[in-house]
Amino acid sequence: MSIVEFRNVTKTFGPVTVLRDVDLSIQRGEVVVLIGPSGSGKSTLLRCINALETIDGGDLVVDGISVREKRTRIRHLRQEAGMVFQQFNLFPQLTALENVAFGPRHVRGTHRAEALVQAEVLLAKVGLGERGHHYPAELSGGQQQRVAIARALAVKPKLMLFDEPTSALDPELRQEVLRVMQSLAEEGMTMIVVTHEIGFARKVGTRLIFMEGGKITVDGDPAALLDNPENPRLREFLHHVH
Amino acid sequence: MDFDWSVVVDALPALLGGAKLTVLIAAAGLVGGTLVGTVAGFARAFGNRLLNALALVYVELIRGTPIVVQVMFIYFALPMLAHIRITPLSAAIATIVINAGAYIAEIVRGALLSVNKGLKEAGLALGLPTWKVLVFVIGPIALRRMIPPLGNQFIISLKDTSLFIVIGVGELTREGQEIMASNFRAVEIWTAVAILYLIMTSALTLALRFTEKRMRIL
Ligand SMILES: Nc1ncnc2c1ncn2[C@@H]1O[C@H](COP(=O)(O)OP(=O)(O)O)[C@@H](O)[C@H]1O
Ligand SMILES: [Mg+2]
Repeated sequence: MSIVEFRNVTKTFGPVTVLRDVDLSIQRGEVVVLIGPSGSGKSTLLRCINALETIDGGDLVVDGISVREKRTRIRHLRQEAGMVFQQFNLFPQLTALENVAFGPRHVRGTHRAEALVQAEVLLAKVGLGERGHHYPAELSGGQQQRVAIARALAVKPKLMLFDEPTSALDPELRQEVLRVMQSLAEEGMTMIVVTHEIGFARKVGTRLIFMEGGKITVDGDPAALLDNPENPRLREFLHHVH
Repeated sequence: MDFDWSVVVDALPALLGGAKLTVLIAAAGLVGGTLVGTVAGFARAFGNRLLNALALVYVELIRGTPIVVQVMFIYFALPMLAHIRITPLSAAIATIVINAGAYIAEIVRGALLSVNKGLKEAGLALGLPTWKVLVFVIGPIALRRMIPPLGNQFIISLKDTSLFIVIGVGELTREGQEIMASNFRAVEIWTAVAILYLIMTSALTLALRFTEKRMRIL
């Protein structure tokens, strides 16, 4: 059974249709890289998966839970789908450690001391073992984004969603984030990544999806599509990104 | 003319009594006003249409009328309308509650809405219910941002209690007025009254600075 299943999903913002009859099935262990022009609906598609946006038509099932179910089930769904934002969105009043411990404490009900111990392990895993007691404002963008990844992982999701995780970063800080994502993929995490990092798509992605105007127009093997983009729009898009 | 210190010394017990009442009215009024303002501010920021409209009417009603008129209404008009008896002291406290409450509502609303929407989404995305996001994410950040304007409002309300001279509650200004009326020593009495107000507002300012220093404003 697939872990994410879009069935004829439509999403509108007022008069604007942002997702048009999207069908998409993602299996466990896939690393799906989502690309497409600005405004094509990539963020919206991702945000529908953990119900940060509500869908207007069709159905969307994540790990057996439909986004149309009631609120308590949605909260459960969100715990299974960790989210990493372009702007990091770390809690500024909490240290890096407290940020990572936040989810387990308030969602899983883990005891504070235990949550902090687990947070140390996760921070070490993203290469920030020494930075636990710093506040977000005291960290570089790359470090903040790695803390944000650790924070999402702390709730033990089955699936990770990344919305342009490196777009807000200076070029020299992107690699440290991409490396963390790559090692996560190597551990077998199911991931859906909106990104312009074509190198990441080729090296780490197991599947490449190209969106245009709220529709998925290309879906296939990253290397094959990048080497030989038959779709003219994809070819043009890649030309601009490179 | 000579500044006669003995006048101040003689008047001091009565003035201190008035100052005590001023502090009581301000403290009780501001505790209540903060509660009312918090509720109304949440209604303005996150309430449904009805709650939002109710809170808005309340805020505009209070901000659009002078506090002297408000206390006159509560002390003289309300007892006639509702057939209740009300003491000057409780009218004074009630006026600070509703008056400061309206201004604090706007402070609370502004602070809540100033918190980056992304933080709310980050909390929700972890699987938290909305109320927990409010309590553990938005609330603490908004609270820090509220402290400077809240301190400002506290000082304004403290000074506003002097207007309650119009209903005869024996706070500091009223005490000063009464002593002055019997000894005609305007310079000594109003200097002493002004200094007592300054001491109270300075204490508030210091407490505010201290709190701001302890809490990192985010
Ligand atoms: N909250 C919103 N309200 C109104 N329109 C929105 C909202 N979010 C996104 N949109 C619109 O939806 C379209 C797709 O947006 P988005 O999913 O962010 O695209 P992408 O991530 O591919 O750049 C855009 O036209 C955008 O203006
Ligand atoms: Mg986007």
